[in-house]
Amino acid sequence: MKDTVNKLLLTLLKNTPIMLFIVIFILFGILSPKFFSYTNFENIATQASYVGIIAVGMTFILLTGGIDLSVGSIMYVSAATTGVLIAKGMPIPIALCLALLIGLVFGAVNAFAIVKLKILPFVVTLSTMVAGRGVGLSITESRSIMLPDTITKIGSTRIIGIPLPIIIFAIVVGVAYIILAKTTLGRQIYATGNDVEAAKKAGINTDKILFTIYILSGLFAALGGIISVAQLGNINAGFGSGDEFDAIAAAVLGGTSLFGGVGGVLPGTVIGTVLIQMIQAGLVYLQVNLYIQPIISAGIIFLAVFLDSIRDAKINKMERRKIRTEQAPASAK
Amino acid sequence: MKKLLAALVVTTLMLGMSTGCAQKQAATETKETAAAETKEAAAETPKADEQKTILFGFQDLETEFWVAGHNAIMETLESKGIKVIEKNANEDANKQLEQVKDGIAQGVDGIIIIPQDGESAVTIAGEANKAGIPIGVFNRPLSNKDNKAIVAVADNEVIAEQAVEYMAQEAKKLGKKVTPLIMVGDLGDPNAIARKQGFYNVIEKYPDLFNKVVEVPTKWDAATGLANLQSAMQANPDVDFLFTSSDFLFPQIKAVLEPLGKWKKIGEPGHVIMGGLDGDSTAGKLIDEGYIDATGVQDVYFEAQAILDEMLKAIEAGEKTPDVWVQDPGFALTQGNVEERRMDMWGNKLREDLK
Repeated sequence: MKDTVNKLLLTLLKNTPIMLFIVIFILFGILSPKFFSYTNFENIATQASYVGIIAVGMTFILLTGGIDLSVGSIMYVSAATTGVLIAKGMPIPIALCLALLIGLVFGAVNAFAIVKLKILPFVVTLSTMVAGRGVGLSITESRSIMLPDTITKIGSTRIIGIPLPIIIFAIVVGVAYIILAKTTLGRQIYATGNDVEAAKKAGINTDKILFTIYILSGLFAALGGIISVAQLGNINAGFGSGDEFDAIAAAVLGGTSLFGGVGGVLPGTVIGTVLIQMIQAGLVYLQVNLYIQPIISAGIIFLAVFLDSIRDAKINKMERRKIRTEQAPASAK
Repeated sequence: MKKLLAALVVTTLMLGMSTGCAQKQAATETKETAAAETKEAAAETPKADEQKTILFGFQDLETEFWVAGHNAIMETLESKGIKVIEKNANEDANKQLEQVKDGIAQGVDGIIIIPQDGESAVTIAGEANKAGIPIGVFNRPLSNKDNKAIVAVADNEVIAEQAVEYMAQEAKKLGKKVTPLIMVGDLGDPNAIARKQGFYNVIEKYPDLFNKVVEVPTKWDAATGLANLQSAMQANPDVDFLFTSSDFLFPQIKAVLEPLGKWKKIGEPGHVIMGGLDGDSTAGKLIDEGYIDATGVQDVYFEAQAILDEMLKAIEAGEKTPDVWVQDPGFALTQGNVEERRMDMWGNKLREDLK
């Protein structure tokens, strides 16, 4: 009986983010029945998709114990360049490819400074965050850029009834999940995050791993920027500002450790991303006082991270006990 | 070797950081000289020894409104043959303070700033007061009156009230109660709060006309505004009266209303009575096309002229710390007065300039 309860508790603890997600979803639904509609859930997923794509890249980085503060600025530079070039007559597909290339280049700059020059990721990406914003502002001269309807149609296109941003988000998550769970690269990412020295001794080329993930993060940031502008229809100077923190929050809420080696994109980061958006939408549904909304929002996020932190300790403790009880009869023989 | 390389990369990154600023600064300073030179000839050219020098520091050109404000100030200064030292702080209040200190050290006759916020405006005004140089503050008021300045500020509450009043009169014609929605700006911005208050002044004036107000937070962020408006429209599909605290959110409003079949012109069934505040080019275009009913307009030209007039008066009188607050009453450009007042709106002037 005690074993069954422990197993149940262990399962619950291991799935804290999902549990919290379900509880909050039901709570908002009870308080505002319209919240339970399919359209609302679709809206939340669509709105969360661009941050989700960036958060997937961020999850890779966090798994190695690093951080990437430049993703918001990469979004801005990529989107702004695309907008300016489209306005000057460049064909849209070429401009979009160029935006992704810019993301790759920024990712490569980050990777080079971190891997080859051994500068801390925080310092490097903080620098590229500020530099990227400066480059973007120079390109746009701080002005707002309106995008043609062709771009905004990308944001509202549906394939088999599902909004395109959700499909792109799902593809990114699917690819990331396969990389992390089914490939050697994925196992090496976890190993690097757990103990970089041990990983090196085991023959893993950790430099190559870090290079790959920072480039991926830059690419996902640019892709997230394209998805976001396709929904917004214009780019202003504040575009992408602060999105790096949403991406970090989404990954951490989904159970990814800031110290590396623990976490994943599915369900982890996906749950974290949608949870943040769901809280925001739920507060609007309930018409909570505007001054109270940030407090409630921050409170729920704090609670989620707090539960996650005590969860790890609890799981370790419970699993340790289990080993001891199994060893006892064996030694008695 | 690695340390050397590391130092090199850090330096490169720092250079990159300043590239944007440097390019912009170089561009603006060149423009300063060129513009001052070309306009000087046309203007009432003063003798070289009488020529006044004014430092014009602006926080950035983030939205069309600030571009229009910047242009209005530059044109006003140049029309008087004043030498302008132009500085862009790139949204950094500390940088703006340093730029003002540099200007003081150069011995400018006056300072005009578009500050990052009301708090930093107080500090910068304090520096100018200490140096005994008159300072003008454009559009963003000082958060308190501890220091002295010439302040030109729009009465956001009154302007919002004028736009919403017109919308209310249109709503009355429907002969039924309407459900109002307001997209609220950043709660830390006094302008956003004043606009919200102006909206509520009208709502409270006609209690029989309005159902409960739906509030949508935007934090002055387009993505947040889009997401929250989508949720609000899903929860309250009967919204038929929408006021945005800033016109820059109209593209996002269109993105939400269009799929719901609510992006309709005036007179078409399902039209949502819509209004905003700022008077930007998008709002001007949408008024022309018949999608929105009204927008509150800040008169940037009036504000620029008022600051300069007061500044020159103070310089002539040898007054070192003038303390004058000028209120811009603004106006509402509506479907009712668009024919007469169309070109009073800065957004429409920008549109004309781009043609």
